[in-house]
Amino acid sequence: MTGTEIYKRTPTYERQARDIRLHAPHWKLLLAFDGLRTLAEAALSAETTFAEALPLTKKFLDEEWIEEQPITLDQYLKRQGLKDIAATGAMVPPATVLHEPAPAPASPAPSGAVVAPAPSPAIAHVPPPLPATTAVANPPVAATPAPVAKTGARAMKLSAVVDFITSLVGNIGVGQLLVYRVFLRVPPELLLAEDIASVHLAGDTSLIQGEKLQKAIADAVEAVAKRALPESVFASA
Amino acid sequence: MPLHERDIHFFIDATLAHLNKITGNEIALRDPTIEFQSLVFSAYTGLLHLKGSAEGFVYFTASQQFLQHLHNSSKGRITEEECRTVIGEITSTIAQAMNKKFGTTLTLSEPRIFSTVPDDPIEMPPAVFVQPLIWRKEHAYLVLGLASAETATP
Repeated sequence: MTGTEIYKRTPTYERQARDIRLHAPHWKLLLAFDGLRTLAEAALSAETTFAEALPLTKKFLDEEWIEEQPITLDQYLKRQGLKDIAATGAMVPPATVLHEPAPAPASPAPSGAVVAPAPSPAIAHVPPPLPATTAVANPPVAATPAPVAKTGARAMKLSAVVDFITSLVGNIGVGQLLVYRVFLRVPPELLLAEDIASVHLAGDTSLIQGEKLQKAIADAVEAVAKRALPESVFASA
Repeated sequence: MPLHERDIHFFIDATLAHLNKITGNEIALRDPTIEFQSLVFSAYTGLLHLKGSAEGFVYFTASQQFLQHLHNSSKGRITEEECRTVIGEITSTIAQAMNKKFGTTLTLSEPRIFSTVPDDPIEMPPAVFVQPLIWRKEHAYLVLGLASAETATP
């Protein structure tokens, strides 16, 4: 380990989280592995020395609570502060994944369940017999754009957005509900236009191409979580 | 005052606590999803409408096999009536826990029990939070549908 590796928490961690017992400072380090920060940055944010963080990180890896987060060549170059060689007109290879991890099992679709489509507007007006779920119209999105609004043609990684929001809260379960509240503010029609009918809160592989949707998500994060999305939620151009 | 995420998480905690009490802590949580287009229903469902500090609904939906295990029936296959009773008891227990925690700030409807899909349509909010639960390889889901993103300051 050099300290430049980037780790994220795994589905195994998500399953076992409630049963894990750790010294409180060790939790701080474990929760700092958000798929965005390097090991050194995570240690810094967890107020743990690098020397202390190394054996702990190895333990987390051995327990399969974290795994390495692959990054693209562009992300690597940006992290190193190097100039994007594509801008010079030089030939550049396609985006390369470094440190390819073992493929994570995809989140299975709900089994044994009937998926009922949302009622069409034609029947949605029928009032439920009990207190109605009113105010389903999307609330207005904050007018002030988030700092990351310069979306360009870059794809936004949904998993990175989810991980970022979740990392804002010390508890994964509560963080996932914060993600839910963020997406309550994102117009569903924008998501469905990009064939996103659902968001998996662990390991979602969707990439968001549309600038309108990217901006709606960034604004929703700003409005609900009071934070701007970091550059690292974007994949390479 | 809208509920904070921590308070909303109590919906999941209360359900899990009740089911774990019955099953001896054998309930496993799978990764949740947020659905934008459809609601998820299993064989039997107990639904509560919410009003007050949270507007929308929460429901618990489970397969017949899941309920059969919960019922622990030694008389063979669980009947439809028994399934409705089991899901009704779970939903009522969740409601009691929520009433105890939130008091008058959150009004809950009487549990609405149905099989397969609701007779009366449920208005789809912008998004629903689906928390899958597994016990003895059988699935159940806790589904939360908030009508608004309004939230307490994080």
